[in-house]
Amino acid sequence: MTMYKKHIALLLLTSAICILSIGFTTIINRSEKVSAVLLTNQTVFNAGDAIVLEFELEKPVTTKLFLHSSYGSTVITPNKQKDTQYSIPNFMTNKSGVIKYILSHKSAIVYEGELQINPNINTKVHLESYIGPPSIIAGGEDYTMQVVIPTDIYDNPLPEETPIQIGHQFLNTEKENILYTKDMMGWKNIFSYDQSGRILLFSVVGETVSKEFSVEVFPALPENFEITSDRRHKYADGNQITELVTSIIKDEYDNVVSDGTIVDFEIIDAKGAVLQTQGSTINGTAVAKILHPDHKDIWRIKAYVYGMAESNTIKLEYTPVLDDFEVVFDKGNREIKVGPLVSFMEQLIPNGALVKLDIFIDDKKIDTKVKTSLDGVVRFILEEGFYVSGEYDIKIKALGIKKEYNNITLQ
Amino acid sequence: MDKTTNKYLISALLIGVVFHGTAIFFTLETTYDALIHLFFGNHYANNWFDPWSYSWYTGFTVMGYPPLVHQSIGLFSYIGGLKFGLFTVAIIAILLFITGIYRFALVLTSNRNVAGYTAIFGVFSSVFIETLHIFGQLPSIIGLSILLHSLPEIYLWLKIGKYRYLVNSLSLIAVTVTSHHVTPIFGMVFFIFPLIGMVIMDVSREKVESYKEVRFKHFLKSFFSLFKRIVSFGFGSLLLIIICILPYWINTKNNPITQVPIPHGSRDNFLEVTSSGLVFFLIPWGVLLFLFPYIWYRFYSKRYLFFGFSITLLTILGTGGTTPIPLMMLGENAFNILTLDRFTLWASIMALPIFGEFGYRFAEGDLKQKISEKFGGVYHRIIGGLITGVMIFTTLFTMSLGYFRPSQPQKIKMLPILNFLSRDQHDHWRYLPLGFGDQMAWLSAQTNAMTVDGNYHSARRLPELTTRAVERLENSKFRGVEGIGSLQQFLTVPEKYNLKYVFSNDKFYDPILYFCGWQRLRQLENGIMVWEKLNVPPLSSILPREEVPMFQKLMWGLIPVFTVLLAFVINIQLIWVHALKSKNKTFPVYFKFGVAYNGFNKKVIKASYLWVLLILVVMSYGFYLLYIKNVKQLSPINVTEAYYDALDFKEFERAHSYIDPNSNKSIDQYMLEVSVTDGLLSSYAKLDEIKVGIIVQTDSTAKVKVLTRWITPLEKIDRTYYHELVKNNNRWFVKPLPYDLDIPPDQFFVENITSFYNHGRRRISSEQTYHEDVLKQPVLEVLSSKIIEYNDQYAIVGEIQNIDNVPADVVITGTLYNDDNKKLAKYNAKHQMKHKLMPKEITSFRIDFEGIAWMNSEDRKPETFDPDQFTAMEFEEIPTKFNLQSAGNVAIVDLYKGVAINDLSLQKEYIEGVLFNSGLEEVTIPLLLVSYYNQNHELLWVDHQYLQEGIRPQRKLYFSYPLLDLTALECINDDMENVLVNGLQNIEISDKMVPDRKHEHQSVQFLPVEGKGYRYIKLEINNYIGAPH
Repeated sequence: MTMYKKHIALLLLTSAICILSIGFTTIINRSEKVSAVLLTNQTVFNAGDAIVLEFELEKPVTTKLFLHSSYGSTVITPNKQKDTQYSIPNFMTNKSGVIKYILSHKSAIVYEGELQINPNINTKVHLESYIGPPSIIAGGEDYTMQVVIPTDIYDNPLPEETPIQIGHQFLNTEKENILYTKDMMGWKNIFSYDQSGRILLFSVVGETVSKEFSVEVFPALPENFEITSDRRHKYADGNQITELVTSIIKDEYDNVVSDGTIVDFEIIDAKGAVLQTQGSTINGTAVAKILHPDHKDIWRIKAYVYGMAESNTIKLEYTPVLDDFEVVFDKGNREIKVGPLVSFMEQLIPNGALVKLDIFIDDKKIDTKVKTSLDGVVRFILEEGFYVSGEYDIKIKALGIKKEYNNITLQ
Repeated sequence: MDKTTNKYLISALLIGVVFHGTAIFFTLETTYDALIHLFFGNHYANNWFDPWSYSWYTGFTVMGYPPLVHQSIGLFSYIGGLKFGLFTVAIIAILLFITGIYRFALVLTSNRNVAGYTAIFGVFSSVFIETLHIFGQLPSIIGLSILLHSLPEIYLWLKIGKYRYLVNSLSLIAVTVTSHHVTPIFGMVFFIFPLIGMVIMDVSREKVESYKEVRFKHFLKSFFSLFKRIVSFGFGSLLLIIICILPYWINTKNNPITQVPIPHGSRDNFLEVTSSGLVFFLIPWGVLLFLFPYIWYRFYSKRYLFFGFSITLLTILGTGGTTPIPLMMLGENAFNILTLDRFTLWASIMALPIFGEFGYRFAEGDLKQKISEKFGGVYHRIIGGLITGVMIFTTLFTMSLGYFRPSQPQKIKMLPILNFLSRDQHDHWRYLPLGFGDQMAWLSAQTNAMTVDGNYHSARRLPELTTRAVERLENSKFRGVEGIGSLQQFLTVPEKYNLKYVFSNDKFYDPILYFCGWQRLRQLENGIMVWEKLNVPPLSSILPREEVPMFQKLMWGLIPVFTVLLAFVINIQLIWVHALKSKNKTFPVYFKFGVAYNGFNKKVIKASYLWVLLILVVMSYGFYLLYIKNVKQLSPINVTEAYYDALDFKEFERAHSYIDPNSNKSIDQYMLEVSVTDGLLSSYAKLDEIKVGIIVQTDSTAKVKVLTRWITPLEKIDRTYYHELVKNNNRWFVKPLPYDLDIPPDQFFVENITSFYNHGRRRISSEQTYHEDVLKQPVLEVLSSKIIEYNDQYAIVGEIQNIDNVPADVVITGTLYNDDNKKLAKYNAKHQMKHKLMPKEITSFRIDFEGIAWMNSEDRKPETFDPDQFTAMEFEEIPTKFNLQSAGNVAIVDLYKGVAINDLSLQKEYIEGVLFNSGLEEVTIPLLLVSYYNQNHELLWVDHQYLQEGIRPQRKLYFSYPLLDLTALECINDDMENVLVNGLQNIEISDKMVPDRKHEHQSVQFLPVEGKGYRYIKLEINNYIGAPH
């Protein structure tokens, strides 16, 4: 069996070799050698010029022209009128750079060479210019970059060392400079001034003037500032509003900080808790509001732009509106009337004053009731369903005043 | 053959086309499915041979649904647009159904009058109306109708054995297969098998004198004599089922449906969920319900015996979860994938010929005679009137169901949305509609823009969707935790899906959008709010797709239409014969087996009476129960529940009617009191659960404790309320609760505010935005960041400041790596941060790494609803390093900072405080951000709390926040080397922009506490404004 297999393998191998050799001999075809001469003398062109290459061939054979430029490669056929003339397509002649060409006949190179295309300085100059970033910080550290790329109408960058006139205006300053293109472009860093505002920029090359660009100069970081307070009265009525106002916040160059800068006011009350309110600046001034406390308190207030600036500390004292209030137990002590709560001029306190009732059994708090006043009075009702008859301790707190009633018997 | 035209059939066709044909223009577009088919139709109209659609689910294949109906819509759309295509196909479906049911009745009863009655009853059958006008299941109707058309041909092939009939029947089966895949498969079992049984019966009958004499041996003999024909037909249809939609089967095999089953009403227990019982049992059966004894009696006669088995099976399967039998019969898998309503559909369609027969016998046959003889003509007419009355009632009721209980949101004008999407290259991003219902399919059909959502859930591919029983993101609020959870994942990391625009038709979703960092762009003319997310890259121009071989594309594109053409050519002769009578022909062979209608069985009449009585009793009892439940003021519990129900649905007038009339609270006063409170609880909450317990009750007073559970888009809220009730004139009333009496100090006040505007592009140009119109990204500085392990979860916490001069929208993305720099997880900061920062503002942030919920099927799914549910990502390796990318973009909205912390007091386990809104806007949902620090002033953790009430201008809000126990917390890594801002190193920005940072400012906000594992906390507030000025 194995012998048999070997035979077959051998047979297959020989036949394969035969087939391959026949295949190769038939495919490889000796091509004729043809030589050509370039008739066109010019090898340097301006972008946009029509380029026609004319060859003289040794024998009249059909040829093709392979072109290669920075834009890619293509193969073109001769012109219809004359089969040794080739017109280079526009998309290649419009681009500056080098075009390599190869004239070929049946895959054989007949002639090769290259063309140089220069930017067309005779056309109108186009300007491609960029400014970035569009906003910078005042103070002369931050800068924006102005980049100008002058091109011909075919978008080819103009030759090196093309002069560019750039200029900008800021407040009363107007500056102009001359740049020379290098590596296709001219650029300059425009540093900010000490003032905030807007820089307007432009550039000119030859006859062409760019459009106007603008760069915003924002103020630098805020500096320390002062705060003041504004309130209707000094009483802790839990109803009126105290306004906290900053002085005009400026940066180190005396620019008013950007509108919207957030200023946090930290208020430390008598217990040490930190209360908070905030405002955002308009024309440098931030206003924040906070409600008066509903109990005697002393507030120490300081404002911050976090990590950057802070204010002085101001102290606000709020005096209590009342020293005492009346509590009446009724209906088997199940109805507790608190009030009338009167304010600093003996007027009824505005509706909504908070009264808190803590209910204890044997020193253990079982419930807290919170109600707001109506016409100076708050009524608590201890319903039978919730509070079984028995002895309770009751603590009432209103407007910072605490009152305790021990061993109240509910019926 | 009878040369006269069947006047009943003609009337049925005329009435059917006029009645249904006009009604569809008002119903079809609001059905569940029609617009989905329209979307598919649009796909075929534009890409006939391309099975890949990019429009939904980040791309899906349309080979998941048989294409014939969709392709027909597509074809007709070339004439008069998509909707023309839809309505034309619907009208064709109506015609096919009426003629189909006629032919089915004819083969079953062998009586042209009966068949005519059946056709008329078919027009008005509630099941057909429901399937067409409420469900909009066009492929199902067409598939079934063609199947009915094929039944006479199958009968004739089996009986006579002429190949012509085999070809006829197979050509019709092919059309059925290409229009709906489930119909032929189950139709085989439930319609064709009984038909085969009937043919065998008929053949046996020929061997003996009557059906009574047919014995099993006759039957067996006939069966073997017909065996070849049965097998050849069976094989033929099997082959067609496989070949005609071969790409479908290949696709099903390659992409098996591995999804979590989506709940469907037809699987409910109809006694518990009465609404499902109504829609999936009572309506489909309709008037047939009263005739059950007759239907069963007839179907269990010997000739129809197999139909009897079939209809019994179908009826039982159609009862869904009411009995455990369907689950046992189908098995867990099939039970959860199939929608069981189709069984009821088939059962009631199968019963229609018997109903027709009853109608015929009642109207002009032996039953009429019998009743008239026994009870007189008037009685007969009354009964007739009653039956007609019930029929008319069910028809009207079913038709108007969609009107009184709309299953869809109001019709949305799509043009503004389409204009928006095509403008300014907005369709270069994906969009997401919210609250659109099935109209989202209509939107998708009209735009080139793509959505991450979709409306054909079997085709879903993203694991975020398939692992959850969420039909669509669009209506996720109806799917509880799973829905909102899925939605939140899409909204938190929209970059992953190139999702930039959300069209919100439901204010419910607004808070989630806001707290996930989205911003309102504008309201379109049709009232749809457009939300936008900044910093999302556009879609790449080449999107991934799954390629299928060319032969599949060709099969899919050509076979369906070819089957129709073939069936048309083959059967056209039949149509001429049957409808136009151009050729004289003998009666089909099945006419021999008709039953003579003489002598109505008395027992059946009696049974029917009993049955109707039973049904009436059951119904009356049901109504009585409904009445008791609905009598609101019969008991303290009823009235409290009714009161909360009214509040939940914002029916304040009804709520007021439950308020004690002696409390002198006028409706105006009451409305004022309830309407002024805005906030999470009163504007965005849905009552999920209510338990009312009576604390004390006397004859005339009661006190109740109400435990409520509210679902909001952000979290679930448990609230306990106490109410006093009184009884007046035998009715219970709720006593009104006290309300906030606070009076703001200023009647009129002025505030200067900073507001911002960004032109976007200043030049009107169709090109990309000009370079100089692009604003610089605001510079941010990350002040601290670190990986924290807490409760076996990893998170990145930190603080970030907007150090620029313009407001910034901040997106923070954290990535975790292990020691070998292997990426373990990536996620964005969700709601534990302020997404919008004014110049120089700071926010703390926390990035949780959220996994895809219930990736492992063994994970227990929570039974209850919890939108706040969080699925932590599972880490196989321990993360040790992190990378933090933050990006700022200029923000111009949602910058309200008017809420002050007006009072704070520290308790043992919690802090209490008062917030005060000093500004001009009404804050709808305030969010409290609490940062925890250790004694070295280092950030440990960031927590959040949504406050349930809103704060109106110059009003206070009391809050209480429970402090956390952070003893188990551990900092893994606080190296800030890989922290980047707008792609630049944070450290460089820090050195350049704020070189002299006053680090001591960080601690000025600290509130010293004796905490478990921490020494200080810091409070920040993020405000959601529901309706900005």
